[in-house]
Formats: sequence, C-alpha cells, structure tokens
Amino acid sequence: MLEPLLESEIKEKILLYVYTHGESYPSEIAKAFKFYINAVQNQLLNLEKGGIFYSKLKGKVRLFGINPRYPFKKELEALLEKTLKFIPEKEKEKYYKPRLRPRRTGKPL
Amino acid sequence: MKIKDMSIKDLAIYLSDYCNKNGIETVLSGGACVTIYTNNKYMSYDLDFVLLSYVVPKKIREAMRKVGFQEEGKYFTHEETPYFVEFLQPPLSVGEEPVKEVSEIKKGNKVLRLLSPTDCVKDRLAAYYHWNDKQSLEQAILVCEEKTVDLKEVGRWSKNEGMSKKFEAFKENLEKRKS
Repeated sequence: MLEPLLESEIKEKILLYVYTHGESYPSEIAKAFKFYINAVQNQLLNLEKGGIFYSKLKGKVRLFGINPRYPFKKELEALLEKTLKFIPEKEKEKYYKPRLRPRRTGKPL
Repeated sequence: MKIKDMSIKDLAIYLSDYCNKNGIETVLSGGACVTIYTNNKYMSYDLDFVLLSYVVPKKIREAMRKVGFQEEGKYFTHEETPYFVEFLQPPLSVGEEPVKEVSEIKKGNKVLRLLSPTDCVKDRLAAYYHWNDKQSLEQAILVCEEKTVDLKEVGRWSKNEGMSKKFEAFKENLEKRKS
C-alpha cells in the first residue's frame, strides 16, 4: 500500500507491525514475515536514526517502538491506521492483531 | 585552543562554527544546552546537533574526520575529548512543534546556534512527559532557575502536547524549589 511512498515493502510491514504491536524486536518481525533478519535490522536502525523509532534494551532484546517525540507521530499513525483499513481482513488477522492473552511456556504458537 | 582543552561549551561553539562553514547547518539541542545554560550545574557529555536540512552522511563523516573525530555507531568520538557528538535528522522540533527561533552564543568570530532557554525547557520536559524521566524534569527546573524562561509559553505547549497535568507537577516542583 505504501511501497511507492516508502520504496520498501519491508519498511511498510515493519511500520505497521510496530504500530499495531506497540513494540517489537528484529527476530519477531523477521519470523512473522519470513524476512531476512539483517534486512529487518537495517530498516529498524534506519528508522531509529531518522528519529521515527526509539529503541530500548529489555534483558538481551532490543525493542523498537514509534518515538513519542517524533514531530509527525500523529500524522504517521493516522496514515498507518488508514493503510490498515485497506489490508484484507485475513492478512490483518495474521500479522497485525497482537495476541494479548498470555501463552504458557513450551506451547506451540 | 586544542580540542583536549575545550569544555563542552567551547567544543560546541567550535564544531557548530566549523560545520556551518562546511555547509552543515545545525542547532544544538539536548542535555548540552542544559550544561551551557546552568554553567555546568548539570554535566552532559553528549553534543546533540540537529541538522537544519538533510545532509548526506558521507559529507558529515568527512568533515568530522578532518578535525579528528571518528564515527562509532551513531556517535562521533575524538581521542582527546570525553564528549560524544551526534547529528540528529531534521526537523528541529520540540515535541510536535517546529522550533521557530534559536539563540546564539558568540565567542570571538565563532557562533553557536542552540535552543533558547524556553525551548530547552520544553525539550527536557518532552523527555519527562513521554518517558517519565525524572532527570530531565530536574534539568528543566535547573534551566528555569538560571535563565529567563517563558512559563506561559511552556504551559501552552504542554497543553498542546496533551500534558497539562504533568506541566502542573513541573510547576509545583519549581515553586517548591523557590520557597
């Protein structure tokens, strides 16, 4: 949907994933979309460098989220929200609806 | 003056002027402004320069290398100084709003452009508002104690950020310190 604007499918999916999940980390995103982790990492670091994402360490994991101090945060979120409306329900269900309830250790995903 | 003898303020003036002369226009923001405005009551080791327009990273890297700074991840470091230098992407903003006027500090024929005391307080409060960072709240109070800050403007901006309650908490803290 936003590929012509962002010139990257990975970047669009990362933005939508992080927006809908609040925070995420490279291997989670790479696994969800079957992307190469290096490609995801590069995009995440670029988004952080541009001030769009923040990152923080939680244990050994570096979490990324939309920077609340990014001056176009509201506008970006409005654009992502609208993009979600154009995504087929099945795809939305698969990638952009985070599971909120806990899952016992060892149970298959 | 050699880089090893420069205070954070001296280094900020030197680099700001040097970058400007090399077509890299910046404004200093972040904790270094607090250090400058409070005469070192708070010590920052980070020089955060916000670029006023997009500059190709290679151009920054080359300019910094000429004055002895090496790129290490997001930062530039120099073996003779403990300070870290970072160039942040435009736009120059505090929270949601663009910064319209900046302050200047002159030393000889060199000029440092930096956030005004009022915008410096907003910048610190943004960190307190969004990250609940108490150190940033303390820095905002220190600047208010040392410089003339337009609190009415900070209040208006805070309201626009949806942070009126936290602004009241900041004002209470400030008044307690005065009494």
